[in-house]
Amino acid sequence: MRYLLLMWNEQDSAGALEAEPEAVGAEAEPCWMPWAREMDQRGVLLDGGGQVQASVPAATVRAAGTGVLVADGPFAETKEQMAGYQIIECGGRDEAVYAASRHPVALQGGVVEVRELLAG
Amino acid sequence: MKYLLLYAGDETAAGLAVTEETAAQPEEECGGPWAQELRERQIHQLTGGRLMPTSAATTVRTAGHETLVADGPFAETKEQILGFDVIECADLDAAIYAASRHPVAVLGGTVEVRPFLQGA
Repeated sequence: MRYLLLMWNEQDSAGALEAEPEAVGAEAEPCWMPWAREMDQRGVLLDGGGQVQASVPAATVRAAGTGVLVADGPFAETKEQMAGYQIIECGGRDEAVYAASRHPVALQGGVVEVRELLAG
Repeated sequence: MKYLLLYAGDETAAGLAVTEETAAQPEEECGGPWAQELRERQIHQLTGGRLMPTSAATTVRTAGHETLVADGPFAETKEQILGFDVIECADLDAAIYAASRHPVAVLGGTVEVRPFLQGA
């Protein structure tokens, strides 16, 4: 089963995924590496992921009817904003929820949304 | 530049709702013409996927050593997250163009465009 993990956090909080390699020195590993190792040991496959920039430069696009409407900012005006994603492949929902609960974003006060991907 | 396109819309609306028929549809059929049009403009789809409805979503937080698991998506919004794509293109304008041409945008949904952190 494949799942999309969507990470949400407060973008200016200290709990944001601040550990970009260049921010903490070239030798330091990114903060999600221990998580990735644990998932590897459990047989959870990681299949792509990334962190997005703070929601300020985001654009929201609608194109129904004839015109294209472009607005600034994210589509959901929530306190926490979408900060990144990770695709995982694992045995089922319980394992996906476990993976979410161990992710640095969840451990640092953020929220991880677990969404099953359609096959194909 | 890499961008995350996050598709949102009314998951019960005609065209956007997941039905037995659309769930069985191969990815190439629903997003294929769109990806082909983008390739001609040097916009490349790197990965992506469609999601099961939010009735199958789970939201995970942690508080201390406790894991809090709730049914449903993180954001209780009028529009729900339906899927995502990761694209590579020259700049934000190209990403906005790609968003505006996607079937979800054309069918009345919203596409949030989020640049990735450099190196992410």
